[in-house]
Amino acid sequence: MDFRESEERQALREAVAALGAKYGVPYMREKTRAGEKTHELWAEAGQLGYLGVNIPTEHGGGGGGIGDLAAVCEELGAAGCPLLLMVVSPAICGSIISRYGTDDQRKRWLPPIADGSYTMVFAITEPDAGSNAHLIATTGRRDGSDWVLRGQKVFISGVDEAQSVLVVARTEDARTGKLKPALYVVPTDAPGVTYQQIEMEIASPEKQFQLFFDDVRLPADALVGDEDAGLLQLFAGLNPERIMAAAFALGIARLALDKAVDYAKTRTVFKQPIGAHQAIAHPLAQCKIELEQAKLMTQKAAWVYDSGDDMAAGEAANMAKYAAGEAAVRIVDQAVQTHGGNGLTAEYGVGGLLAAVRATRIAPVSREMILNFVAMHTLGLPKSY
Amino acid sequence: MKIVVLVKQVPDSGEERTLRADDKTVDRDAATKRMNELDEHAIEEALKLAEANGGEVTLLTMGPGDATDTIRKALSMGPDKAVHVSDDALHGSCAIATSKVLAAALGKLEWDLVLCGAESTDGGVQALPHMLAERLGVGAVTGARKVTVEGATVTVERQTDEGYEVLQTEGPAIVSVWDTINEPRYPSFKLIMAAKKKPVESFALADLGVSADEVGLANATSQVLEFAPKPPRQAGVKITDEGEGGAKLVEYLASEKFV
Ligand SMILES: Cc1cc2nc3c(=O)[nH]c(=O)nc-3n(C[C@H](O)[C@H](O)[C@H](O)COP(=O)(O)OP(=O)(O)OC[C@H]3O[C@@H](n4cnc5c(N)ncnc54)[C@H](O)[C@@H]3O)c2cc1C
Repeated sequence: MDFRESEERQALREAVAALGAKYGVPYMREKTRAGEKTHELWAEAGQLGYLGVNIPTEHGGGGGGIGDLAAVCEELGAAGCPLLLMVVSPAICGSIISRYGTDDQRKRWLPPIADGSYTMVFAITEPDAGSNAHLIATTGRRDGSDWVLRGQKVFISGVDEAQSVLVVARTEDARTGKLKPALYVVPTDAPGVTYQQIEMEIASPEKQFQLFFDDVRLPADALVGDEDAGLLQLFAGLNPERIMAAAFALGIARLALDKAVDYAKTRTVFKQPIGAHQAIAHPLAQCKIELEQAKLMTQKAAWVYDSGDDMAAGEAANMAKYAAGEAAVRIVDQAVQTHGGNGLTAEYGVGGLLAAVRATRIAPVSREMILNFVAMHTLGLPKSY
Repeated sequence: MKIVVLVKQVPDSGEERTLRADDKTVDRDAATKRMNELDEHAIEEALKLAEANGGEVTLLTMGPGDATDTIRKALSMGPDKAVHVSDDALHGSCAIATSKVLAAALGKLEWDLVLCGAESTDGGVQALPHMLAERLGVGAVTGARKVTVEGATVTVERQTDEGYEVLQTEGPAIVSVWDTINEPRYPSFKLIMAAKKKPVESFALADLGVSADEVGLANATSQVLEFAPKPPRQAGVKITDEGEGGAKLVEYLASEKFV
């Protein structure tokens, strides 16, 4: 067993960290304040191939895995300029289309997703189907060779920055009348698509939206994959999503811990730096340990997914997302505490991470649902939901 | 156009660096190693010239076995191949010996232009390009903030404290560059993946026809006799403002001849 990342992955991390350092916290703050998007960073990362590291080379990507993409996501986060839409566009949509799209769909969408010139976001959550995806009500109805989509989604990130949305819906089974999951690529400017921004407490250039489909007419090739393959196809995207969410949390956590450690070394209150007090030092040491644990689990989950074992990847990806979310929330909290009053000033930029990091415990799957999953599937305890 | 870029692995200048207690050479084991910062600018300039004029970029490094890390990193920016001169006998070589070895290596390569950083952050000698030029019988134009190549004519803007000078030479030539010359590119993922597969040719001293008694610490033309860490910074002067703070500040600045 070898716990070192490949030389290429290490070099990728180094290169992304250098790019991140050029943008960093000031860039993100400026964009957020001005209500602007991170187009420059997104475009540069795309041109360098960092956004498409996981997409097959024959479709313009880097031919690496989710482990590589997660490394990119984590490094940008640690540099203070995380790109949330990496979680959806290359990770979820890129993975699903690579694995289940037709040749035409791959040719059409993967190269621009890989180079960042095209953004596809992802919509599964509905007002009545958050943790309970079985209740998804958005429905695709056949009309000749077309599809007609009707329904509503909520909390969808980045709709305003995207050319299209990969929508998780259902089709009506012609024989049984039962609904089964189906995935559609819906252009954000298609007639019948409307969206409305949700005011969030998270300070970030990426926004969340309510999304409405009012009899949106789609061509036959808007359907990705088989209308019968359903859940399997979905999990080809949801496992990468969880691994990426973990990497996103790890990035925030590293940034917060770095800031806290710097502050603890330099801030002197009673004659010596506050880091000399165990009340400050020990929690930071614990944070470091929990960060490393979560990172290891995330690397393992990515390795399992990239090795092609989807069944085992589900458990590992859930565990990674849980571990990273829990560690990151605790680390940001400890970073705020370490900074005293400065922990809540805009200048130090630590307090501003509180809401964003809190979301990593909720989205894309809540800690409770992960605990349900592990209790039932790993431990064999009775089904509770 | 064939360009060779000289690349050196150095201890990270952002960290505390020290000399070894035993032989007073740079302590490379204790340091995080990285590519000499200015060399990234030399590589960037070489790539630009090769892109504009067609051609090939080869890296040349002299250094211990682990300098391969720096070679990979440098290759991931885009050069075509690398040459690594490595030999246990080279440890502790002075600038003159280094120039002998690099000149011998350059003698084995085809090139129109050699590019390098204006100095290395560990040695800071700035003399290597001139030594190489002397040994190879070519021109050296150093400290460039701009390079243009037209036919065989190489023109540089040489950066000085006051401004710049324009220097010209006929190639083949050696050019050293400062960081003002360009913004080095970030390695793309494709190039990172490709770097491992690019050819790296290794030369030992014997391959270059240089004998061990011309190089290394024992034969160095200069010697470190003694060294001491920089004294810690003295506490500054604090002036409390009780009405005449401004005047006191000026008084202090004047006494230190700042104003
Ligand atoms: C910043 C942000 C970005 C997002 N981006 C996207 C996006 O791009 N695309 C998208 O589709 N969605 C997105 N979401 C939605 C996100 O995935 C959901 O919020 C999440 O899945 C939880 O669903 P919910 O909000 O409906 O909570 P609910 O399902 O209403 O859950 C509420 C609470 O009850 C708990 N709970 C529910 N059922 C059980 C149970 N059986 N046992 C124990 N506890 C339970 C939950 O854990 C949670 O704590 C985003 C959310 C946020 C906050």
